[in-house]
Amino acid sequence: MKNAVMKMVDDKAAAASKAAREKAKGDSQHKNFQVGDTLDVHLRILEGEKERTQTFTGVVISKTGSGLVEAFTVRRIVQGEGVERIFPLHSPLISKIEVKRTGVVRRAKLYYLRDRVGKATRLRERKPKA
Amino acid sequence: MPIGILALKVGMTQVFDAKGNAEPVTVLQAGPCPVLQIRTKEKDGYDAVQVGFLDKSRKRATRAERGHVSGELSSKRRERIKQGGTSDTMTAKADCEPQKFIREFRLEGPATVAVGAKLTVGEVFKDGQKVDVIGTTKGRGYTGTMKRWNFAGLPASHGAKKNHRSVGSTSSLASNRGFGRPKKGKKMPGQYGAERVTTRNLEVVSIDAENNVILIRGSVPGHNNGLVMIRPSNKVKRTGK
Repeated sequence: MKNAVMKMVDDKAAAASKAAREKAKGDSQHKNFQVGDTLDVHLRILEGEKERTQTFTGVVISKTGSGLVEAFTVRRIVQGEGVERIFPLHSPLISKIEVKRTGVVRRAKLYYLRDRVGKATRLRERKPKA
Repeated sequence: MPIGILALKVGMTQVFDAKGNAEPVTVLQAGPCPVLQIRTKEKDGYDAVQVGFLDKSRKRATRAERGHVSGELSSKRRERIKQGGTSDTMTAKADCEPQKFIREFRLEGPATVAVGAKLTVGEVFKDGQKVDVIGTTKGRGYTGTMKRWNFAGLPASHGAKKNHRSVGSTSSLASNRGFGRPKKGKKMPGQYGAERVTTRNLEVVSIDAENNVILIRGSVPGHNNGLVMIRPSNKVKRTGK
Protein backbone atom coordinates (compact mmCIF):
# COMPACT_ATOMS: atom_id res chain seq x y z
CA MET A 1 0.00 0.00 0.00
CA LYS A 2 2.77 2.36 0.97
CA ASN A 3 4.38 2.66 -2.43
CA ALA A 4 1.12 3.12 -4.29
CA VAL A 5 -0.08 5.98 -2.11
CA MET A 6 3.35 7.56 -2.00
CA LYS A 7 3.65 7.42 -5.75
CA MET A 8 0.22 8.97 -6.15
CA VAL A 9 1.13 11.91 -3.91
CA ASP A 10 4.47 12.36 -5.65
CA ASP A 11 2.92 12.19 -9.10
CA LYS A 12 0.32 14.73 -8.14
CA ALA A 13 2.89 17.19 -6.82
CA ALA A 14 5.10 16.62 -9.85
CA ALA A 15 2.15 17.31 -12.13
CA ALA A 16 1.49 20.57 -10.28
CA SER A 17 5.10 21.66 -10.80
CA LYS A 18 4.88 20.68 -14.42
CA ALA A 19 1.76 22.79 -14.84
CA ALA A 20 3.54 25.73 -13.22
CA ARG A 21 6.43 25.32 -15.64
CA GLU A 22 4.14 25.15 -18.63
CA LYS A 23 2.40 28.28 -17.45
CA ALA A 24 5.77 30.00 -17.35
CA LYS A 25 6.34 28.80 -20.91
CA GLY A 26 9.25 26.58 -20.00
CA ASP A 27 9.82 22.90 -20.64
CA SER A 28 7.03 20.65 -19.59
CA GLN A 29 9.54 17.88 -19.07
CA HIS A 30 13.06 18.45 -17.86
CA LYS A 31 15.71 17.15 -20.19
CA ASN A 32 17.82 14.32 -19.00
CA PHE A 33 21.14 15.53 -17.77
CA GLN A 34 23.99 13.86 -16.02
CA VAL A 35 26.64 14.70 -13.50
CA GLY A 36 29.41 16.57 -15.33
CA ASP A 37 27.05 18.38 -17.68
CA THR A 38 27.11 22.14 -17.95
CA LEU A 39 23.60 23.54 -17.52
CA ASP A 40 21.64 26.72 -17.90
CA VAL A 41 19.05 26.66 -15.13
CA HIS A 42 16.27 29.15 -15.79
CA LEU A 43 14.71 30.34 -12.56
CA ARG A 44 11.50 32.23 -12.11
CA ILE A 45 12.00 35.04 -9.62
CA LEU A 46 8.79 36.36 -8.12
CA GLU A 47 8.97 39.97 -7.03
CA GLY A 48 5.55 40.87 -5.78
CA GLU A 49 3.34 40.88 -8.86
CA LYS A 50 6.17 40.86 -11.35
CA GLU A 51 8.03 37.83 -12.49
CA ARG A 52 11.36 37.63 -14.22
CA THR A 53 13.77 34.92 -15.22
CA GLN A 54 17.28 34.44 -13.94
CA THR A 55 19.78 32.00 -15.33
CA PHE A 56 22.32 30.08 -13.32
CA THR A 57 25.03 28.44 -15.40
CA GLY A 58 27.43 25.84 -14.10
CA VAL A 59 28.53 22.23 -13.86
CA VAL A 60 26.36 19.61 -12.20
CA ILE A 61 28.50 18.09 -9.48
CA SER A 62 25.93 15.87 -7.77
CA LYS A 63 22.43 14.47 -7.97
CA THR A 64 20.69 13.28 -4.83
CA GLY A 65 17.37 11.79 -3.81
CA SER A 66 14.70 10.11 -5.84
CA GLY A 67 11.12 10.79 -6.78
CA LEU A 68 9.85 14.20 -5.83
CA VAL A 69 12.75 14.79 -3.47
CA GLU A 70 15.35 14.59 -6.24
CA ALA A 71 17.78 17.50 -6.28
CA PHE A 72 20.98 18.51 -8.05
CA THR A 73 23.92 20.74 -7.25
CA VAL A 74 25.32 23.20 -9.78
CA ARG A 75 28.76 24.71 -9.28
CA ARG A 76 30.16 27.76 -11.00
CA ILE A 77 32.96 30.23 -10.44
CA VAL A 78 31.85 33.83 -9.85
CA GLN A 79 34.64 36.40 -9.65
CA GLY A 80 37.16 33.78 -8.63
CA GLU A 81 34.89 32.41 -5.92
CA GLY A 82 33.19 29.03 -6.16
CA VAL A 83 29.40 29.20 -5.89
CA GLU A 84 27.18 26.17 -5.52
CA ARG A 85 23.40 26.08 -5.66
CA ILE A 86 21.21 23.12 -4.85
CA PHE A 87 17.98 22.94 -6.86
CA PRO A 88 15.03 20.64 -6.21
CA LEU A 89 14.54 19.01 -9.62
CA HIS A 90 10.75 19.29 -9.46
CA SER A 91 10.62 22.84 -8.16
CA PRO A 92 7.95 24.90 -9.91
CA LEU A 93 10.40 27.80 -9.86
CA ILE A 94 12.68 26.12 -12.39
CA SER A 95 11.14 26.99 -15.74
CA LYS A 96 13.75 25.43 -17.98
CA ILE A 97 16.95 23.40 -17.86
CA GLU A 98 19.25 23.58 -20.86
CA VAL A 99 22.17 21.24 -21.33
CA LYS A 100 24.99 23.30 -22.80
CA ARG A 101 27.76 20.76 -22.73
CA THR A 102 28.24 17.21 -21.59
CA GLY A 103 31.39 16.25 -19.73
CA VAL A 104 33.21 12.96 -19.40
CA VAL A 105 33.22 11.96 -15.75
CA ARG A 106 34.09 8.76 -13.94
CA ARG A 107 32.26 9.28 -10.67
CA ALA A 108 28.82 10.23 -9.40
CA LYS A 109 29.90 13.14 -7.22
CA LEU A 110 32.39 15.68 -8.56
CA TYR A 111 33.34 17.11 -5.19
CA TYR A 112 36.99 16.99 -6.25
CA LEU A 113 36.30 20.05 -8.41
CA ARG A 114 36.07 22.08 -5.22
CA ASP A 115 39.77 21.60 -4.62
CA ARG A 116 40.75 22.66 -8.11
CA VAL A 117 41.20 26.06 -9.66
CA GLY A 118 41.53 27.41 -13.17
CA LYS A 119 42.30 25.03 -15.97
CA ALA A 120 42.18 21.99 -13.72
CA THR A 121 38.39 22.35 -13.34
CA ARG A 122 37.78 21.65 -17.02
CA LEU A 123 36.03 18.45 -18.02
CA ARG A 124 36.57 16.67 -21.30
CA GLU A 125 33.54 16.96 -23.56
CA ARG A 126 31.61 13.83 -24.36
CA LYS A 127 30.92 13.55 -28.02
CA PRO A 128 27.67 11.95 -29.03
CA LYS A 129 28.20 8.56 -30.57
CA ALA A 130 27.92 8.57 -34.33
CA MET B 1 -12.19 17.08 22.24
CA PRO B 2 -13.83 17.17 18.82
CA ILE B 3 -14.25 14.14 16.65
CA GLY B 4 -11.30 13.00 14.57
CA ILE B 5 -10.29 10.21 12.28
CA LEU B 6 -7.98 7.18 12.24
CA ALA B 7 -5.15 6.88 9.75
CA LEU B 8 -2.12 4.86 8.74
CA LYS B 9 1.19 6.64 8.37
CA VAL B 10 2.39 6.04 4.83
CA GLY B 11 5.66 7.94 4.86
CA MET B 12 7.24 11.31 4.33
CA THR B 13 7.96 13.30 1.20
CA GLN B 14 7.94 16.93 0.15
CA VAL B 15 5.55 19.09 -1.83
CA PHE B 16 5.87 22.63 -3.14
CA ASP B 17 3.68 25.46 -1.91
CA ALA B 18 2.34 28.35 -3.99
CA LYS B 19 5.59 30.26 -3.65
CA GLY B 20 7.65 27.29 -4.78
CA ASN B 21 9.04 26.47 -1.35
CA ALA B 22 9.47 22.80 -0.54
CA GLU B 23 7.39 21.72 2.42
CA PRO B 24 8.18 18.54 4.36
CA VAL B 25 4.99 16.52 4.70
CA THR B 26 3.81 13.25 6.16
CA VAL B 27 1.42 11.27 3.98
CA LEU B 28 -1.43 9.61 5.87
CA GLN B 29 -4.04 7.21 4.58
CA ALA B 30 -7.00 8.43 6.62
CA GLY B 31 -10.40 6.84 6.89
CA PRO B 32 -13.15 6.31 5.97
CA CYS B 33 -14.08 5.51 9.53
CA PRO B 34 -17.52 4.05 10.31
CA VAL B 35 -19.07 5.17 13.59
CA LEU B 36 -19.57 1.97 15.56
CA GLN B 37 -20.99 3.19 18.84
CA ILE B 38 -21.99 6.36 20.65
CA ARG B 39 -21.03 6.67 24.29
CA THR B 40 -23.42 8.76 26.33
CA LYS B 41 -23.16 10.40 29.70
CA GLU B 42 -26.26 8.59 30.99
CA LYS B 43 -25.17 5.12 30.02
CA ASP B 44 -21.38 5.18 30.00
CA GLY B 45 -20.57 8.18 32.17
CA TYR B 46 -18.91 10.11 29.37
CA ASP B 47 -19.61 11.33 25.84
CA ALA B 48 -17.57 9.81 23.05
CA VAL B 49 -17.73 8.40 19.56
CA GLN B 50 -16.30 5.01 18.78
CA VAL B 51 -14.95 4.69 15.25
CA GLY B 52 -13.39 1.86 13.31
CA PHE B 53 -10.81 1.80 10.58
CA LEU B 54 -9.89 -0.78 7.94
CA ASP B 55 -11.99 -3.86 7.33
CA LYS B 56 -11.01 -7.17 8.79
CA SER B 57 -12.06 -10.37 7.10
CA ARG B 58 -15.06 -12.00 8.78
CA LYS B 59 -13.09 -15.20 9.04
CA ARG B 60 -10.39 -13.56 11.10
CA ALA B 61 -12.77 -11.64 13.33
CA THR B 62 -14.10 -13.11 16.55
CA ARG B 63 -17.84 -13.55 17.07
CA ALA B 64 -17.81 -10.59 19.43
CA GLU B 65 -16.16 -8.41 16.82
CA ARG B 66 -18.67 -9.46 14.20
CA GLY B 67 -21.62 -8.94 16.52
CA HIS B 68 -20.33 -5.50 17.47
CA VAL B 69 -20.72 -4.17 13.95
CA SER B 70 -23.69 -6.14 12.68
CA GLY B 71 -27.19 -6.79 13.92
CA GLU B 72 -27.54 -9.71 11.51
CA LEU B 73 -25.47 -12.14 13.56
CA SER B 74 -27.86 -14.21 15.57
CA SER B 75 -27.36 -15.22 19.16
CA LYS B 76 -29.47 -16.68 21.91
CA ARG B 77 -29.93 -13.26 23.46
CA ARG B 78 -30.89 -11.66 20.15
CA GLU B 79 -33.36 -14.45 19.43
CA ARG B 80 -34.98 -13.78 22.78
CA ILE B 81 -35.22 -10.07 22.02
CA LYS B 82 -36.80 -10.84 18.67
CA GLN B 83 -39.43 -12.99 20.35
CA GLY B 84 -40.05 -10.17 22.78
CA GLY B 85 -39.56 -12.28 25.87
CA THR B 86 -37.24 -9.82 27.63
CA SER B 87 -36.99 -6.13 28.39
CA ASP B 88 -33.61 -6.10 26.57
CA THR B 89 -33.38 -4.05 23.39
CA MET B 90 -31.05 -4.26 20.43
CA THR B 91 -28.50 -1.47 20.26
CA ALA B 92 -27.90 0.34 16.99
CA LYS B 93 -25.23 -1.28 14.84
CA ALA B 94 -23.07 0.26 12.11
CA ASP B 95 -23.80 -2.62 9.75
CA CYS B 96 -20.32 -2.83 8.26
CA GLU B 97 -17.46 -5.33 8.07
CA PRO B 98 -15.56 -6.11 11.28
CA GLN B 99 -12.95 -3.42 11.88
CA LYS B 100 -9.23 -3.88 12.33
CA PHE B 101 -8.76 -0.83 14.53
CA ILE B 102 -11.32 0.60 16.93
CA ARG B 103 -10.73 3.81 18.86
CA GLU B 104 -12.78 6.39 20.73
CA PHE B 105 -12.82 10.15 20.49
CA ARG B 106 -14.00 11.85 23.67
CA LEU B 107 -16.48 14.66 23.17
CA GLU B 108 -17.41 17.70 25.22
CA GLY B 109 -21.13 17.22 24.70
CA PRO B 110 -23.52 14.69 23.17
CA ALA B 111 -22.45 13.32 19.80
CA THR B 112 -23.90 14.85 16.64
CA VAL B 113 -23.18 11.83 14.43
CA ALA B 114 -25.20 8.65 14.29
CA VAL B 115 -24.08 5.04 14.42
CA GLY B 116 -23.36 3.82 10.90
CA ALA B 117 -22.19 7.18 9.58
CA LYS B 118 -18.91 7.10 7.64
CA LEU B 119 -16.39 9.76 8.57
CA THR B 120 -14.06 10.85 5.77
CA VAL B 121 -11.09 13.20 5.76
CA GLY B 122 -12.81 15.59 3.40
CA GLU B 123 -15.66 16.12 5.84
CA VAL B 124 -13.75 16.16 9.09
CA PHE B 125 -10.77 18.34 8.16
CA LYS B 126 -9.99 21.20 5.82
CA ASP B 127 -6.82 22.64 4.30
CA GLY B 128 -4.72 24.81 6.57
CA GLN B 129 -6.38 23.53 9.72
CA LYS B 130 -4.29 22.75 12.80
CA VAL B 131 -4.48 19.17 13.99
CA ASP B 132 -3.07 16.93 16.72
CA VAL B 133 -1.71 13.53 15.79
CA ILE B 134 -1.62 10.75 18.37
CA GLY B 135 0.52 7.70 17.74
CA THR B 136 2.86 5.14 19.23
CA THR B 137 6.50 6.13 18.84
CA LYS B 138 9.13 3.83 17.40
CA GLY B 139 10.32 1.41 20.07
CA ARG B 140 14.01 1.68 20.86
CA GLY B 141 14.14 -1.00 23.53
CA TYR B 142 16.13 -0.72 26.72
CA THR B 143 18.43 2.21 26.13
CA GLY B 144 21.07 4.02 28.12
CA THR B 145 20.88 7.57 29.39
CA MET B 146 22.87 9.09 26.53
CA LYS B 147 20.29 8.05 23.97
CA ARG B 148 17.23 8.30 26.20
CA TRP B 149 17.89 11.53 28.05
CA ASN B 150 20.74 13.10 26.06
CA PHE B 151 23.20 12.77 28.94
CA ALA B 152 26.74 13.76 28.04
CA GLY B 153 28.32 10.51 29.25
CA LEU B 154 31.70 10.32 30.90
CA PRO B 155 35.05 11.53 29.55
CA ALA B 156 36.73 9.60 26.77
CA SER B 157 40.09 9.93 28.49
CA HIS B 158 41.57 11.53 31.61
CA GLY B 159 41.51 8.24 33.46
CA ALA B 160 37.95 7.19 32.53
CA LYS B 161 37.87 3.43 32.41
CA LYS B 162 35.28 1.27 30.68
CA ASN B 163 32.35 3.52 31.53
CA HIS B 164 32.33 6.20 28.88
CA ARG B 165 28.56 6.02 28.39
CA SER B 166 27.42 5.42 31.95
CA VAL B 167 24.95 7.46 34.00
CA GLY B 168 27.43 9.04 36.36
CA SER B 169 26.45 9.94 39.88
CA THR B 170 22.84 9.12 40.74
CA SER B 171 22.68 10.65 44.19
CA SER B 172 24.57 12.01 47.14
CA LEU B 173 23.69 12.88 50.71
CA ALA B 174 23.13 16.46 49.67
CA SER B 175 21.09 15.82 46.55
CA ASN B 176 17.96 14.65 48.31
CA ARG B 177 18.00 16.47 51.64
CA GLY B 178 19.96 14.02 53.63
CA PHE B 179 18.65 10.76 52.22
CA GLY B 180 21.34 8.74 50.59
CA ARG B 181 18.93 7.70 47.83
CA PRO B 182 18.30 8.86 44.30
CA LYS B 183 15.52 11.39 43.90
CA LYS B 184 12.16 10.17 42.67
CA GLY B 185 12.00 10.45 38.90
CA LYS B 186 15.79 10.39 38.43
CA LYS B 187 16.54 9.93 34.75
CA MET B 188 17.94 6.46 34.31
CA PRO B 189 18.36 3.83 31.58
CA GLY B 190 15.19 1.98 30.62
CA GLN B 191 12.59 1.32 27.95
CA TYR B 192 12.58 4.14 25.40
CA GLY B 193 9.92 4.60 22.74
CA ALA B 194 6.86 2.48 21.94
CA GLU B 195 4.76 4.88 24.00
CA ARG B 196 1.70 6.94 23.18
CA VAL B 197 2.64 10.43 22.11
CA THR B 198 0.57 13.39 20.94
CA THR B 199 2.17 15.83 18.52
CA ARG B 200 0.10 18.99 18.67
CA ASN B 201 -0.58 21.89 16.36
CA LEU B 202 0.43 20.39 13.03
CA GLU B 203 -0.80 22.03 9.86
CA VAL B 204 -2.89 20.26 7.24
CA VAL B 205 -1.14 20.98 3.93
CA SER B 206 -3.67 19.35 1.65
CA ILE B 207 -6.45 16.81 1.58
CA ASP B 208 -7.21 14.37 -1.21
CA ALA B 209 -10.80 13.51 -0.32
CA GLU B 210 -11.17 11.21 -3.28
CA ASN B 211 -8.32 8.92 -2.25
CA ASN B 212 -8.68 9.46 1.52
CA VAL B 213 -5.20 10.89 1.79
CA ILE B 214 -4.15 13.76 4.02
CA LEU B 215 -0.82 15.59 3.98
CA ILE B 216 0.37 17.03 7.27
CA ARG B 217 3.31 19.37 7.59
CA GLY B 218 6.18 17.91 9.60
CA SER B 219 6.54 14.53 11.21
CA VAL B 220 4.11 12.42 13.20
CA PRO B 221 4.85 9.76 15.84
CA GLY B 222 5.50 6.13 14.90
CA HIS B 223 6.82 4.06 12.07
CA ASN B 224 5.44 3.77 8.57
CA ASN B 225 2.26 1.69 8.40
CA GLY B 226 1.58 2.53 12.06
CA LEU B 227 -1.85 3.60 13.26
CA VAL B 228 -2.36 7.22 14.28
CA MET B 229 -5.35 9.25 15.43
CA ILE B 230 -5.89 12.70 13.93
CA ARG B 231 -8.12 15.24 15.63
CA PRO B 232 -8.60 19.00 15.36
CA SER B 233 -5.98 20.63 17.56
CA ASN B 234 -6.96 21.44 21.11
CA LYS B 235 -4.14 23.92 21.40
CA VAL B 236 -5.66 27.28 22.19
CA LYS B 237 -4.28 30.19 20.24
CA ARG B 238 -3.04 32.75 22.70
CA THR B 239 -4.76 36.07 22.19
CA GLY B 240 -1.88 38.39 23.04
CA LYS B 241 -2.26 42.10 23.42
